[in-house]
Amino acid sequence: MSNPTQHKLLRKLLLQSGGKLRLTVAIGTLVAGTTLLLLSVLVWWNFGMLLSGDAQKGNATKNYVIIAKQVTDYNMANTAGNTFTPQEVKDLLQAPQVQDVGEVIPARFAVYAVIGGRLAMATDLPLESVPDRFLDEVPEDWTWEPGKRQLPVILSSQFLDVYNYVFAPSQGLPQLSRTSVKAVGLKLQVGGEQGNTLSAHVAGFSEYLGSVLAPPAFIAYGNKTYGQDAASEQPSRLVLKVADPSDTRFAAYLEQHGYTANPQNLRWSKMRAIVEVVTTATGVLALLLMGMSTLVFVLFIQLSITRAQQSLVLLGQLGYSPRHIYRFVAGRYIPLIVGAMLCAMLLCCSMQLIAAQVASRSQLILPSLPGIPVWGALIISTSLLLILVSKSIKKAIRR
Amino acid sequence: MQLTMHNVLPNYLQPTPKERVSAIWGNTVSIQQGDLVSVQAPSGAGKTTFVQLLYGLRKDYTGTALWDNLAPNTTDEEALAALRTNNVSIVFQDLRLFGELTAMENIEIKRCQTNTTSTATAHEYLQRLGMSHKIDAKADTLSYGERQRIAIIRALMQPFNWLLMDEPFSHLDNSNRQKAIELIGEIVHARKAGMILADLNANNYFAYTQTLIM
Repeated sequence: MSNPTQHKLLRKLLLQSGGKLRLTVAIGTLVAGTTLLLLSVLVWWNFGMLLSGDAQKGNATKNYVIIAKQVTDYNMANTAGNTFTPQEVKDLLQAPQVQDVGEVIPARFAVYAVIGGRLAMATDLPLESVPDRFLDEVPEDWTWEPGKRQLPVILSSQFLDVYNYVFAPSQGLPQLSRTSVKAVGLKLQVGGEQGNTLSAHVAGFSEYLGSVLAPPAFIAYGNKTYGQDAASEQPSRLVLKVADPSDTRFAAYLEQHGYTANPQNLRWSKMRAIVEVVTTATGVLALLLMGMSTLVFVLFIQLSITRAQQSLVLLGQLGYSPRHIYRFVAGRYIPLIVGAMLCAMLLCCSMQLIAAQVASRSQLILPSLPGIPVWGALIISTSLLLILVSKSIKKAIRR
Repeated sequence: MQLTMHNVLPNYLQPTPKERVSAIWGNTVSIQQGDLVSVQAPSGAGKTTFVQLLYGLRKDYTGTALWDNLAPNTTDEEALAALRTNNVSIVFQDLRLFGELTAMENIEIKRCQTNTTSTATAHEYLQRLGMSHKIDAKADTLSYGERQRIAIIRALMQPFNWLLMDEPFSHLDNSNRQKAIELIGEIVHARKAGMILADLNANNYFAYTQTLIM
């Protein structure tokens, strides 16, 4: 049974020996230690968001990685050896971060494109196909069947850039917008002089595939009809859908199997490795500080209880049970601990809000609230601290 | 609540002193609730030890002492605290007040434990023992006699079946002692409680039902 008078008297006997200044310092240290710990998790989490590509505005390409087998002096003559076997494709599905694997099928026949009118140009066209689910955006008319004279193609956006910024100025040709390119008609000579002639138009653009794509049905038909090496049906390149291409385990898997990937993706993984080292070091430091601040707080409580030892003994002799005393002392310190932890979390939330605003200026999206790992760190550190303090109070009272 | 002792002997008195015959040490004693017991012994015979082992403060003895079925030397701290809060009250020989608390606060900290006695009753007891004017004085500043009266009032602030007192009137003048005896007698009687009073000499403070010479 407790009441205000009893609380007032117990506070006078047990808690006033701690000193307000010492209590303030202990709480301040706890807030600082916890804030550092949460901030280190926050930094790690934010870097993870940025490097995994989730935070990049309008850029889904980071989640697609095209891989091929490394061509070396030893295997360059063995073209078949540089293709992927069905088992290797199956294994890749189990690789770290890989969510889906698609085969990139090249055209094994010649395609010659001619553009008439003012643009007047002709070029060999490297066509290939990927499964539709790997396209940035599937155009509305993205179909082809034998007998159809109109072929939609998807152009690499890099091709348009090269034309607009390199080729057009050098030839005195006009620059072209994406819409105007879609309106340009092409004549395709397929399968050499003995082959067929088709009309084609640009149906869309690809941000990550550096070639010209045609519907899979057309490539399959062309390879079968005009293919020079119809026996070799194994893909020489694969497109992977990857959850986090910056994951160092993913990069290690590629390296271990002798696969090459877009250098950009490997650069992300190297940066990720550096960031992980930095955030791990910060985390270790933060853990040490958190440990020290916990120690300071626990020592403060023990000192306060030790100073009130005489009163504590007499209270016990008067019939105050250890459990009653524990509840009173814990009831005094636990709200302070919870308050300190919430204060640290509030600081973290403010930092995240500022980080989100700063990132937004760089076309990056970061959540305005800390994510689950930070809340998890808060819950774990608070629970551990409460257990430690609780045990410390019980021990001091029993003593 | 019955008190039973069988062959209780403090460690420091072992082996049994042959030169002294004791009604308590090494004997079987049975006291019923409602009994008023006087324990008489000269200095050093173990009066305080006896009171303290009944209250569970000393455990350095052999034999068994039981409050009904509860042995104060082996029971856990929580059960002992419950015994001290609800069943057995005490006036220590050395009083054991909180020096930094006032006289009233020393009484209140006991009263608040159970809230079975009102603050008004505490004031009434203070008045009866002539301590009303000292309620705001810190215990450290009181004379021994004044502190003794505060310790007596504190012991009466809780429910009890037994009241243990170790030389409770040693520093009281006749007038104050008589007031204290009357107050204690009334309350013990009203609660149908038992009482054990340890003192140096034979006395007739209360109508004892048993006298044990230690």
